[in-house]
Amino acid sequence: MLKPESSVESQRPIPMSFILLAAVVVHLPLLLMKLPLKSYDANFHIFFASHYLHHWFDPWNTKWYAGFSQATYPPLPQQWVAVLSNVFGLDMAYMAVQFAAILLLVVGVYRFSRLWVSPRSASIAALASVFLGSESFLVYSAGQLGTTFAAPIYLNGLPFLFDWVRHGKGRSFLKATALFAAAAAAHHATLLFGSFFFALPVLALALLDRENGERISTASFVARTVAITVVVGAAIAVVLLPFWIALIHYPVTQTPIPHPSRANYILSPQWGLNYFVVPYGALILALPFIFMRGSMVARLRPLLFGFWLAFLIGLGGTTPVGRVLLGRAFEVLTFERFSYWATLLALPFVGLLGSELVARYRTKAVVGLTALAAATCGLAVSWSTYHPADADQGLTVEPIAAWLNRDGHDQYRYVTLGFGNQIARLAVKTDASSVDGEWYSGRMLPELTRNGGGALTSSKYFGEGGLDALRAILMHANYYGLKWVLVRDPSYNPLLAFAGWRPVDYLEDKTITVWSKDGVPPATPLNAPQIPPQWQGVMWGIFPFGSSILAILVILIPEKRRQEAREEYPIEAGDLAPGRLAS
Amino acid sequence: MNKGRLLAAALVIATVVFIVIGTVKPIPSAAAYAGGQNLLPSSSTPEEAVRNLGDEISVRDWGKAYASLANKTQFSEDEFEHDLTGYYPSLRTDATLNSFEVRPLHATENDAEMRLTLHWATVLGIYDSTRDLHVIRAGDRWEPEWPLYKRPAVPPQVIPVNYLRWDVIYPGPGDDWGVQGVEAPHVRIVDMRPVQRAEGVVILGELLNDDVVPAYVSVTATLQSKTGKALATEDSFDKISHVLLPKQVTPFLIDFPDATLSSVGSIRMTPFSTLVPASADPVIEIDNAHLNPAPNASLSGQLINESGQIVNVAHVLGTFYDKSGQVVWIADEYTDRALLPQTPEAFLIHIPEDLARRVSSQRTVVASFEYGGVL
Repeated sequence: MLKPESSVESQRPIPMSFILLAAVVVHLPLLLMKLPLKSYDANFHIFFASHYLHHWFDPWNTKWYAGFSQATYPPLPQQWVAVLSNVFGLDMAYMAVQFAAILLLVVGVYRFSRLWVSPRSASIAALASVFLGSESFLVYSAGQLGTTFAAPIYLNGLPFLFDWVRHGKGRSFLKATALFAAAAAAHHATLLFGSFFFALPVLALALLDRENGERISTASFVARTVAITVVVGAAIAVVLLPFWIALIHYPVTQTPIPHPSRANYILSPQWGLNYFVVPYGALILALPFIFMRGSMVARLRPLLFGFWLAFLIGLGGTTPVGRVLLGRAFEVLTFERFSYWATLLALPFVGLLGSELVARYRTKAVVGLTALAAATCGLAVSWSTYHPADADQGLTVEPIAAWLNRDGHDQYRYVTLGFGNQIARLAVKTDASSVDGEWYSGRMLPELTRNGGGALTSSKYFGEGGLDALRAILMHANYYGLKWVLVRDPSYNPLLAFAGWRPVDYLEDKTITVWSKDGVPPATPLNAPQIPPQWQGVMWGIFPFGSSILAILVILIPEKRRQEAREEYPIEAGDLAPGRLAS
Repeated sequence: MNKGRLLAAALVIATVVFIVIGTVKPIPSAAAYAGGQNLLPSSSTPEEAVRNLGDEISVRDWGKAYASLANKTQFSEDEFEHDLTGYYPSLRTDATLNSFEVRPLHATENDAEMRLTLHWATVLGIYDSTRDLHVIRAGDRWEPEWPLYKRPAVPPQVIPVNYLRWDVIYPGPGDDWGVQGVEAPHVRIVDMRPVQRAEGVVILGELLNDDVVPAYVSVTATLQSKTGKALATEDSFDKISHVLLPKQVTPFLIDFPDATLSSVGSIRMTPFSTLVPASADPVIEIDNAHLNPAPNASLSGQLINESGQIVNVAHVLGTFYDKSGQVVWIADEYTDRALLPQTPEAFLIHIPEDLARRVSSQRTVVASFEYGGVL
């Protein structure tokens, strides 16, 4: 039984234009300041984009790992950065794509929330997404463009999935398929896990939801669900075909690399702060409401289960749930994105809570909620300063790139030590090739894959595995044409000195020493079996980007207005009195 | 209680239970970040007390580790930390604790002796340090006493410097090192022999600087099949002393993991040399070198830094010969503590048990590294 109109729900939604304006006001200045460049991965995405800029139809990138395939990572946001860089330059193009993703998220959260709650609550949820801690954390600290680009596309596609399954609307089928394919082209993991966290609850809602007192027939539900699953699956298979081929031929079997999101956040409170308190922020205060309301309202239960699962896995190693459910994948995945998805799933509840609080306490609630939202967003944005990806932000890579580019130095390969995540920025600027890199799933050099280290430039932080990888790669310097080691951290000097490397130059006011090994032959291209054939390069250049263009065009097809039979409210009669908050 | 409230309670309870399980018995990757500890580390046995200490050292929580010691009033937290990380820059400074082992040696009701072996990961490989800890009962818990390694006191003294030094004038500071347009120093392989080991083929040998100028040297070996096809190429990496003064000899060892000697037809050896500036300083003497027989065959001795400067890392390369003077094995060790002037520092190089019986003599060379002023 659904409750009839109440005073809470009768209030008008916040206009979308106002919410988008809030997103512009909050995020545009931060992006114009290029704040994401301080994050862990932003330069990684820019590096990939720079390759697409120069080699749109050739995903084989020789600048890292002596050659690796970019077809091992869905390309859509990076291709958009490459396209827009023709106008804005690479850095600002990145900001533009990220900004578009933030605006899309606002719309996506509203549309997704409308499936569950009233327009007013959905609008508050959309407004909350502007201040969402996990969004700011991923944008400004983690730099996860793929995740933050794919999620909004996916959220925008889910209402079409509902419409198709519930009402059998062909246009919705088309739009959902196009958006899901584009989301997969942006970030495959979002679609994979999103199917469990987001799509299953929506399908459950479509099955459980009554319209004019009637549910959808089971046969229709099954047929439509199977139809869209098959078609979307086929579309994704085609759009990302080179990716699947690479994954099947070269599955990720390398030694797991430690990541602090797999820590227990209670035993390691510093990581609890980083991966729980900062992304959730004031949303932590809403957790009791989410559990209570989600449990008590039958219609909200699928959403609650989706949230709960994402929440538990997002806790990383705090619970054994992630390890049990994901198996070995637990040691490969990172878990901040699960918390991101959990917070997105929580937003309809937040909208509901916000609308009820405002209805009851008016200005006091508005002030309180605004303060909490601002504090949450502020903490997450400033976290990149308090807990920077690279503790030493003083490194400028341009003089180093200039050194590598002159006097034939780029005939040889190089590796850096102590450069942190600036190696991606250096790779963008130099013509020289490195044996290092930051895309661990794409690397194939046995010296790197059989040890448990991450980037060579940060070897010592990965303990024995990282240092073994560094030693192994230096041992085979002649084979890889590895002549230059650019050292910013002198703790590596003993290894280089005893292994027969000699310092030959200083850069950047002697903060960087160039070490060289004599007798190293010039680097030659590796004849790796992983090099994608030309037809895959053409596919990679056309289909993922094409899927986004198709999605934009399909979205422009006007919807037939469906007469809403009635407004639905997720409050069960008898459970709650009008205007009374759940406790 | 209605269904909704029941569900909410069930979910919350399940969440709490999952968190409790994950905290009381953390999964390995989470435990690694917590230094192996759970939420309530117990020190109810001597072994647990020492294990907790090892966990705290592994996450470099010096304050907590220091606080857990029974004899903390005898030294400061700084001294405790520097005992583990070194008083001067050395391999210890940036080492991370890879793992550790605790072994009981002796126990009574109120005290115990425990052996703590720490496996440290450094840029030059793993090194082990072993401490025997006296652990005492304090009420219902046990507390270890830390056997502090005191900072050596070097007396004020004047050390005359009269070492040989060779300088090389380069065309310019930015010029590629090694491209000098001068003839390379003459070097010669004076001994070489391949050995089949369980891990693969190992090539042992010695290289002589036959010239009157110092040389930077390295040796590359290529295994060739019986048809002359190259099977694998490796070089001496750090199993050699790369800078040789005139008439100096260095041992070298080249590893070919997974190779088998039976499939090798020939071996092509390529010594490399180039002119470099060098000095005889710092002079490191080897004192009391002694071959210890099996079991646990080893070469032990002391290094004495005869110069007036601190040597941050020393590399000891031992060459072991049989009665006929043929090289039987080559092994090495890095010092984990800095060598202070005139201060002996012990070294110990292990010799494989199966080869130890054949060893009748040895020759040891030492290479050194000092931070700063490398170019």
